[in-house]
Amino acid sequence: MKALFSLLAVLLCAAPAYAIDGKQLLEQVDRNLAPESYELYRKLINIEPDGRKKEFVLYTVKKGKDKIAGLFIAPASEKGRSTLRLGDNMWLYIPNVGKPIRITSLQSVIGGVFNNSDILQLDYSEEYDVAKVEDLGKEYLLQLKARTKTVAYDQLKMWVDKKNVSPTKIECLTEASMLIKTIYFKDIKDFGDGLVRPASVETDSPLYKGYKSVMLFANFKKKEVADEVFTLTFMPNIDSVR
Amino acid sequence: MCRRFYWCILWFAVFLSTQAQAEEFKFDPSEVEKKPYHLGGYLELKPSVSHTDKEASLYKLRFYDRSDEETLKQISGTAQLEGSLEKGIARLFARANFELDHSYLGWSDQGKLYEGYMALKPSDLFNLALGKQTMKWGKGYAWNPVAFVDRPKNPDEPDLNLEGFYMASANLIKSFDGPLKTISFTPVVIPAYGDINDDFGEPDKLNFAAKLYLLYYDTDIDFMLLAKGSKSPRYGFDFSRNLFTNLEIHGEFAWLPDSKKTMLEPTGKTLQEESDEASYLLGLRYLSTLDTTYIFEYYHNGTGYSEAEGEEFFSFIGRGYEDYISGRGDAALKKAQSLSEGGYGRPNFMKDYLYLRVSQKEPFNILYFTPALTWILNLEDKSFTLSPEILYTGITNLELRAKGSVLVGDDFSEYGEKQNDYRLELRVRYYF
Repeated sequence: MKALFSLLAVLLCAAPAYAIDGKQLLEQVDRNLAPESYELYRKLINIEPDGRKKEFVLYTVKKGKDKIAGLFIAPASEKGRSTLRLGDNMWLYIPNVGKPIRITSLQSVIGGVFNNSDILQLDYSEEYDVAKVEDLGKEYLLQLKARTKTVAYDQLKMWVDKKNVSPTKIECLTEASMLIKTIYFKDIKDFGDGLVRPASVETDSPLYKGYKSVMLFANFKKKEVADEVFTLTFMPNIDSVR
Repeated sequence: MCRRFYWCILWFAVFLSTQAQAEEFKFDPSEVEKKPYHLGGYLELKPSVSHTDKEASLYKLRFYDRSDEETLKQISGTAQLEGSLEKGIARLFARANFELDHSYLGWSDQGKLYEGYMALKPSDLFNLALGKQTMKWGKGYAWNPVAFVDRPKNPDEPDLNLEGFYMASANLIKSFDGPLKTISFTPVVIPAYGDINDDFGEPDKLNFAAKLYLLYYDTDIDFMLLAKGSKSPRYGFDFSRNLFTNLEIHGEFAWLPDSKKTMLEPTGKTLQEESDEASYLLGLRYLSTLDTTYIFEYYHNGTGYSEAEGEEFFSFIGRGYEDYISGRGDAALKKAQSLSEGGYGRPNFMKDYLYLRVSQKEPFNILYFTPALTWILNLEDKSFTLSPEILYTGITNLELRAKGSVLVGDDFSEYGEKQNDYRLELRVRYYF
């Protein structure tokens, strides 16, 4: 009996040492994708089945775990439109309307496959718990479950390249495991200051058959700004930060 | 040799295709270079056609001395131009609106400076601005009873830019960790002297207003006031909060002591009434799983007119019209016209309203296509307007909107007495 308990104790202690720590892995993925506080520019391209494109250029500034703001700088019809996320709170400011309005994470600010959560993405480890990790050889497959109902996608399946500890593909699913979209991470690029990450992200969705969206990254760098930048009152002035 | 040639062609084709793809998804950092100046705006063309209601009071008021019109055609062109210049902590901004209009009244044009101010931002925690500005206080979509220092917006077009007032304003912002995440304070000074803000209220007054904003436990809360000056004093608060991930609730409350209202008596005399009133609004914004957005608002307009007072106004126009066609002159109609330029002519001049807007994002997977339906109901007289619209934004910088409006109501009701039965319009807007 004593021997059985000893064996159990050894097994219980030894098991965590060999298991992959999903939480730690996801945090590593987050840090490899972006510093905790940064600024960056993204070009969002919606491509229609006939090849027609519509492009948007978005400036983003993030601070800490839960503060992120975005500002559209092109095209002219969207210029000045800004979005703010403070934890679970999201607002949209449209220059014509002249005041910020509360929005939900699933609402689309520009149409197409992207929604607010894609544009104002916080760290994955902030929004998701790791439900399961599978070792697929060259990659890990992480199955993530949203911590709260405020997150746009209830479940994520994330394929992580072991060498770069960077995602190569993410499937976004509903609570009922219905696929909403698939995100492909491409073109690993050195942005400087130790940030090596995919420079383009492609998205397709079974809900928008034949349509594709591409997100390109530029001028991605660490930046610290005041907490007050991430407030409703500051939204009309976000352009002054860049 | 032949095989090598084909391999070369294949390699070249692959090379070209990869080059094309690389070019297709190019993002040059020079595209995001910040310039110290900005010029932009939009050009708009809006043709419309309205079918008149010849029995309606407001038709009689506008057409009693003109030829009868079955349909009214109108075309208007708008250029809204804006520009800014930044240097250090200073920023100059101006937005001007120019309109050229052709209707049954002939040609008319109008140019207005909507906003024009100089802003200083010594830090992210503090900024101030001096010049013509809009404040846009309030959380309501169609109405804002707490917008004490703005012009009233049109609930039919609540997203349009408005002309501001000349004022000095400042913003002090502070963020915290904990349940109170943000606090900001906005003091405003509005002079009303001579030509400056001559339509704000009583002249020769210096007006003080302020707003305190809090983000407390994930709820936006504002407290605002306008001290007694050109207008009677006003006190208010508003709030907005997400109840669920897809449901937002918002509200506004305004306390309006000593409010003045012009009243029309059955004799045709007018008098000024003074009373303490409250205006308030409660609204919801809901996003369904099918990407349908519902905006629903209830609005109580404390300074508005009751159903009986509204009926009195329309009856007065009717009696004035009878006088006119009986050859007794148009004095009463002239008086009614002057009243319709004041309180009786405000959009939604009565007491209680419901607003519902349902918009569907990209139905049938038609990208950038948004159909919507807007319904405004006068709760007292049960008259309403129903406006379907379709919006397409698929061409970069071009916005196409077709909108119709049907006005329905009994005799002596708000929408029943409007000059039109229905209206169709097309709006083409190009941003640059």
